[in-house]
Amino acid sequence: MKVYVVDNGGQWTHREWRVLKYLGVDTEIIPNTTPWKQIDSEGLVLSGGAPRIGTESTKLGATSEYLANLNIPILAICVAHQFLAMNFNGEVGQAEIPEYGKVELEVDCDNELFQGLPKKFYVWESHNDEVKSVTKDFTVLAHSENCRIQAIKYMKKPFYGVQFHPEVEHTQYGYKIFKNFLALCRK
Amino acid sequence: MVVLALINILLANYTELKFRVFDNFPKKKLLKGRTKFFRIPNLNSDIRLSRKFKFAKEHAKIKISLKRYLIMPFEPEKFVEKKISEIQKLIKGKAVIACSGGVDSTTAAVLTSKAIGSRLTAVFVDTGYLRKNEPENVKELLKGLQLNPRFVDAKEEFYEALKGVVDPEKKRMIIGEKFIRVFEREAKKEKTEYLVQGTIAPDWIESGGALRDTIKSHHNVGGLPKEMKLKIIEPLRDLYKDEIRKLARYLKIPVSEKQPYPGPGLAIRIIGEATPEATDIVREACAIVEEEIENAVKNKKMGKPWQYFAVLLPVKTVGVQGDVRAYGNTIAIRAVHSIDGMTAEYSKIPNEVLEKISVKITNTLRDKVNRVVYDITNKPPGTIEWE
Repeated sequence: MKVYVVDNGGQWTHREWRVLKYLGVDTEIIPNTTPWKQIDSEGLVLSGGAPRIGTESTKLGATSEYLANLNIPILAICVAHQFLAMNFNGEVGQAEIPEYGKVELEVDCDNELFQGLPKKFYVWESHNDEVKSVTKDFTVLAHSENCRIQAIKYMKKPFYGVQFHPEVEHTQYGYKIFKNFLALCRK
Repeated sequence: MVVLALINILLANYTELKFRVFDNFPKKKLLKGRTKFFRIPNLNSDIRLSRKFKFAKEHAKIKISLKRYLIMPFEPEKFVEKKISEIQKLIKGKAVIACSGGVDSTTAAVLTSKAIGSRLTAVFVDTGYLRKNEPENVKELLKGLQLNPRFVDAKEEFYEALKGVVDPEKKRMIIGEKFIRVFEREAKKEKTEYLVQGTIAPDWIESGGALRDTIKSHHNVGGLPKEMKLKIIEPLRDLYKDEIRKLARYLKIPVSEKQPYPGPGLAIRIIGEATPEATDIVREACAIVEEEIENAVKNKKMGKPWQYFAVLLPVKTVGVQGDVRAYGNTIAIRAVHSIDGMTAEYSKIPNEVLEKISVKITNTLRDKVNRVVYDITNKPPGTIEWE
């Protein structure tokens, strides 16, 4: 199975590649300007990155094309999670309280991405912006003390967004979250 | 002692593995299980782990340890095989390698010498910003590994170049360029244009470029001068420190467990100008931190941190030493736990160990340092080194 990592310039883009590789998936880091027609993988991970969602969302290249044209499972991380919400009419902006490092995540409802995980666990974050609200096409999957929308699911296509970083070693159950995502890609 | 054997390995499909683990005691201790992870890279780790647990608890622990290790498929033997043939294709003649004696560059050196043998020359540069006894130790190491070592004393050159420089990025850029100029000279002597470096993933990730922000310019990537006469080869650039250590153990490199140490060395552990005098202070403080923490680890007072050192701050505070007013600098102690250097949490060092370090630093450095603080920042938002 093939799952590409789309590089939005994140510090942990290469970690996503490593986790996928460790889970036995064929993977490659591709630039976010790659035309959507060239994407022949069974799933896509959209990395986080330095661009600010309010002023620099064009730096996310062809991301909106991927969301419009692809039907494969997509896991959007950090700034890509914000872009996913914004792309489908959600509201995003600067976080009132940004989160860096260790944060306790609380899962709001049963879902495929967090299947088999405890209701609360520690994740690592690094974000200045956040999703403020989503439309009813989304389900909010998790929150933290200072960020109400930590994970989302788009109901019309298998697209998921997470504000935290499941790819880093310090996030608990990070591999499990990726495995759950890969199970969706395999379907 | 529990002896584990793994039988009946059945790949149900390519991500699922059924296993049975048993010991050489009664049959009822037989364990059955399955996991969705797909291979067993290193059973020895599991055996080593399981020895530590009490008999009553062992089964639960074995399960956990198997799960933990079943998703670690970095295979040093395959990597070595692949890289040796890549390097042989790339380097037809001679090459020099930049070797500090740390885990990354020494591993790169041993790997490259496996590929091109005595055509490789290892160049070790004494920048003047090395730790206590480091030049002697590295010389001995490189001689032992038979890497054609060449030692370059560039202390004065580096001190001169960093005179008056305070900005951490400027320091890193200057150091990066100085290194390259030394290597260019050595490569010329060897009549080669190839420079092998032990660059690993965080070096180029944090150095940034294009869409990726520059967190800090690592001397071997972001600190490279625009114009240079060398072709750079980086066989380890896709690996992280935990993978490098596995590779180093496989290659039987004696420094496989050595803590990370940045190329710019003590120059970036001095906030402000890295003068020779300031270097002496932070060198002594680093030696004390290393010695005391290593002692505490040996005496089982704490686990070994991933990295541990001292930073000299240009902050002066008032103190009292021998009934006399003191006005000296501050030392910050930094110790973190990490796997790959990309995220880190500060080490929870026992207070008695911190106290011992603090007392020893202020007693040893007297009029230079009269205050010691402990850094309790994770990464993010901090980085591991302060500059």
